[in-house]
Amino acid sequence: MSRRVYLDHNASTPVHPEVLAEMVPYFGDVFGNPSSVHGFGRAAREAVDVARDRVATFLCARPDEIVFTSGGTESDNFGVKGLAWARGGGHVITSKIEHHAVLRTCQALEAQGFDVTYLPVDETGMIDLDDVRRALRPDTIAISIMHANSEVGTIQPVRAIGALARERGIAFHVDAVQTFGKVEIDVEAFNIDLLSFSGHKIYGPKGVAGLYIRKGTKMVSVQHGGEHERRRRAGTENVPGIVGLGKAVEVRAREMKDEAVRLTALRDRLWEGVRARVPDVRLNGHPTERVPGTANIAYKNVESESIVLGLDLKGIAVSAGSACTAGSVEPSYVLVAMGVPLEWAMGAVRASLGRSTTAEDIDYVVESVEPIVRKLRAALPVGAA
Amino acid sequence: MRYSPTLIEHFLNPRNMGLMRDPDGTGEDEFEGCGDLARMFLRLQDGRAAEVRFQSYGCGPTIAAASAASELIAGRAVEELVNLKAREVEDALDGLPDDRKHAAEVVAGAVRAAALDALRRRGA
Repeated sequence: MSRRVYLDHNASTPVHPEVLAEMVPYFGDVFGNPSSVHGFGRAAREAVDVARDRVATFLCARPDEIVFTSGGTESDNFGVKGLAWARGGGHVITSKIEHHAVLRTCQALEAQGFDVTYLPVDETGMIDLDDVRRALRPDTIAISIMHANSEVGTIQPVRAIGALARERGIAFHVDAVQTFGKVEIDVEAFNIDLLSFSGHKIYGPKGVAGLYIRKGTKMVSVQHGGEHERRRRAGTENVPGIVGLGKAVEVRAREMKDEAVRLTALRDRLWEGVRARVPDVRLNGHPTERVPGTANIAYKNVESESIVLGLDLKGIAVSAGSACTAGSVEPSYVLVAMGVPLEWAMGAVRASLGRSTTAEDIDYVVESVEPIVRKLRAALPVGAA
Repeated sequence: MRYSPTLIEHFLNPRNMGLMRDPDGTGEDEFEGCGDLARMFLRLQDGRAAEVRFQSYGCGPTIAAASAASELIAGRAVEELVNLKAREVEDALDGLPDDRKHAAEVVAGAVRAAALDALRRRGA
């Protein structure tokens, strides 16, 4: 195997060389604790502040509204629990296709006595604003909706939902882990009160993320300890990680627009190429309102894991829509919520493109996938699956 | 790679794949909860598996297991095949990860069903 093509950027991305270079000193020379008052500590504090400024500018927020965390999952937990616990009870609105970091947090809140409405989505994975409106109750305390889904990339109407939430005085949390640094986000214009974002999806390091918290939003902390992050998130700051996240954001601000145009064309080239060569395929997700680099393609009557294996053996990294664990296979809950029939959902394969993806890579994937699917289909028992 | 080179080789170049017309015995097995399915076809000569073919739906290891089993059982007496153990199929693949053991089980189940079918037809 010589050629290697990585099309799993929604799972993680390689650290950008500029990001890595900026981080390196903070593992060595600048090792101080940002809470320390001496020079070593002040140097680290300065670096954290620069990163905070960069993130705030990028989101059209203020620096003191940015809290750094250890990952998207922590940010989602902090956002949803922080809002709910600060209010003590009531009703939360979310959707059926949220990341597990939000879904399972909401389930945990239900166990604590909160009511939760899980909104449906249409066949493109889109939430209907009217469903949000209908779900509102006098005791609704929070709405948590993802900006885009990691599996299918459908971009939700968060601006419209934000306007509705603001009009009703309901706190609005957005899980933007899959869109931060890929599409424009303006927390002011979108009326977002809390927003989760992560570093390693945008060529930053793993283990660092953040939560935007609009000034004045009633919140409680989830993690207790020291006075870090303005007493909102205890724990010594991950200085090299935060520096890396700040730099990654700076690079994204520079590259995002052009890359979105390029990746949209490449993802469409992938879909058109596959569709032209392979019968019985469908695109899952919204045809246009979609994260630039995401293409979720379903191959009817084929098990996605065998396609992933076949492509892996060709040096191509994609991800399976269904997961077989210990002999039990579950179709993706996202595709189920979208009403994708089982014979399609079981064969869903996600390709997520990134800054290193080229047209040649896409053509190689298109050439490689056709014989794999043809062979797998040739093995099918007649009338099976 | 979490799979053995033997498994990968069978997955890439499956042997004896496809339908057999007028077999002497056919059987299938499905792994519940997973949906993986194997169907085996046997043609006998002097009570032994002279020709074996398979069809399958499932993850890579299941396809590889069916291919390996089609070679493993060739020439064996049908009475012997009604007791084929999943362990033998797994060994023919040089092992399976714990969460993919079902690949060998579903294929061994299909072989046993095909052998039973052959015995039934012979007795009829």
